[in-house]
Amino acid sequence: MNLLTKTIDGCYNIFRGLFTVFKHIARNPITSAYPDVVPELYPQTRHRLALTVNPDTGEHLCIACKQCERICPDTCITVIGDPEKKGTIKDFYLDHGLCMFCGLCTEVCPTNCIINTVDFEMSEYTREDLIYDIDRLTLTQEQSRFYFDFKEMPKPRPKPEKKPAPVQTQTEAPKPQPAASARGGEKKS
Amino acid sequence: MSIVKDIGHTEKAFKTDEMIINMGPQHPSTHGVLRLILTLNGEIVKNCEPVIGYLHRGMEWLGQNRTYVQYQALVDRVDYLAGMSDSHAYIMAVEKIAGIQVPLRAEYIRVICTELNRIISHLLWLGIFMLDLGAMFGFPFYTFRDRETILSFLEEVSGQRMMFNYIRIGGVFKDLPKGWTKKVKKWLTTEFVNYIDEYEAIATKNPIFLVRTQGIGYLDPKLALNRGVTGPSLRASGINIDLRKYKPYSVYDKLNFNIPTSTVGDTNARYQCRIQELRETAKLVVEAIDKLPGGDTEDLEKNRAELTSGENPTYKAEDLMFIAKGKNVPMGFKCGPGEAYAAVESPRGQLGVHLIADGTSVPYRIKWRSPSYNNTSILPDLIKGHPVSDVVAIFSSLDVILPDVDR
Repeated sequence: MNLLTKTIDGCYNIFRGLFTVFKHIARNPITSAYPDVVPELYPQTRHRLALTVNPDTGEHLCIACKQCERICPDTCITVIGDPEKKGTIKDFYLDHGLCMFCGLCTEVCPTNCIINTVDFEMSEYTREDLIYDIDRLTLTQEQSRFYFDFKEMPKPRPKPEKKPAPVQTQTEAPKPQPAASARGGEKKS
Repeated sequence: MSIVKDIGHTEKAFKTDEMIINMGPQHPSTHGVLRLILTLNGEIVKNCEPVIGYLHRGMEWLGQNRTYVQYQALVDRVDYLAGMSDSHAYIMAVEKIAGIQVPLRAEYIRVICTELNRIISHLLWLGIFMLDLGAMFGFPFYTFRDRETILSFLEEVSGQRMMFNYIRIGGVFKDLPKGWTKKVKKWLTTEFVNYIDEYEAIATKNPIFLVRTQGIGYLDPKLALNRGVTGPSLRASGINIDLRKYKPYSVYDKLNFNIPTSTVGDTNARYQCRIQELRETAKLVVEAIDKLPGGDTEDLEKNRAELTSGENPTYKAEDLMFIAKGKNVPMGFKCGPGEAYAAVESPRGQLGVHLIADGTSVPYRIKWRSPSYNNTSILPDLIKGHPVSDVVAIFSSLDVILPDVDR
């Protein structure tokens, strides 16, 4: 009798499980068809980093204050300010091979210049191609306008003529060599 | 019956040699890279020696070379399935030293996100556990389907799917998005409950599942306590220790929830405990959303004046903030000198951080007490005398994750 109830109970539970599985036959697939259907991304999503320009005037927003360079845990950012004109950027290197997309640089940026875009397709053939310079990082005016609206960031004010003092002192001593490439070289060897 | 007798006969009649085989480190069922040196007599495990350290990344040393703010982006990697718990433990230790008062709303947001993270971790465990038992096709997809939904919830909040970097010193990164709480509450109360019923319909009373789990890998409560086993593995052995009740941190003392326990102590009991914990956690998230100070984000500005004004205001003005005043710009944070230990109940057990600060912006010493390390240590005792096929089932039921073991 014990064996009989056990058998009936076992059969019932196996068929109950199978019935649950068979219920899924008719429903739509839960996986997404990725290359055809782009996934829905949110304003706070952290992917490839980029530099914005002023959406109204097209002026570059970076003031070379080097806050992002100082806070980056992976030291993947190198900011080179223009020694001739203080508060303007000359070059900007960002190694996406080292970056871990923590988003700390975007938080400390005083002008909302460096932002996380929603672009996550950035595969390259070599590691050197992942080091982005200022031309590849800077967005166009239309893209900047899109991100300022999408992330609900305050629109940049016109640049004041006088800069605060600590910003100027930092921009006076540009590093001769990009730190990102130096760090990358150490890791490879 | 006769076959068993024959095997016993041959064991006595012929001298059999013990065989040593290596399981791992690339074995798919070792949840990472764990190497088990198994000494086998026929198919029975006579001895087992776990070898760990293949996933060592030096998390403690990395922390001592980075500032407090820089390190908070890295701590999610300690146990990548429960990154919120890791952040919570580390940030609590920093806040203890610095003496920062966290706003009440931030504490509730932390609890909501950490508990959602617990559901993610348990769902992944459930799928992988069934996979290890041989339920190859189907079952993991069900749990991953629901895990995907919660991951997108957390992505909307924090910005990434697994490396959240959301809990910050003094609060959280940003307030919850508009309409998020209603969406989560609706999904948890209407859909997720049915999904758990679905898992249980497939697995819980399935006779094949019961044969594979009942009476397998009995964990003695005394041994478990001596070795420092924590989490659902300990509670399945009849010892009800959960830091959320035992030593309430954050706002867990203001919430009502049950801790599921069992006294059986075998693999099936550990499964039951986690399944029940899924239900309890879903209820806990809904309760925390209901009690969230200031209500939903879209109504916050409307409610703020009403809640904070009057003779006896419900909340103080700073209770309704998501991060403590002056902490939202993470530059130049310094704390100490001091020493603090903070522990949270992660999905795997007690996760603790011991932090020594010397007054600079860099921690002097960080020590992680990870639950998986202690839970792995009882594995040799559990699998002795069981056949090889049960090794994977027992190891999987402990819910060990290797990056947490090696750090």
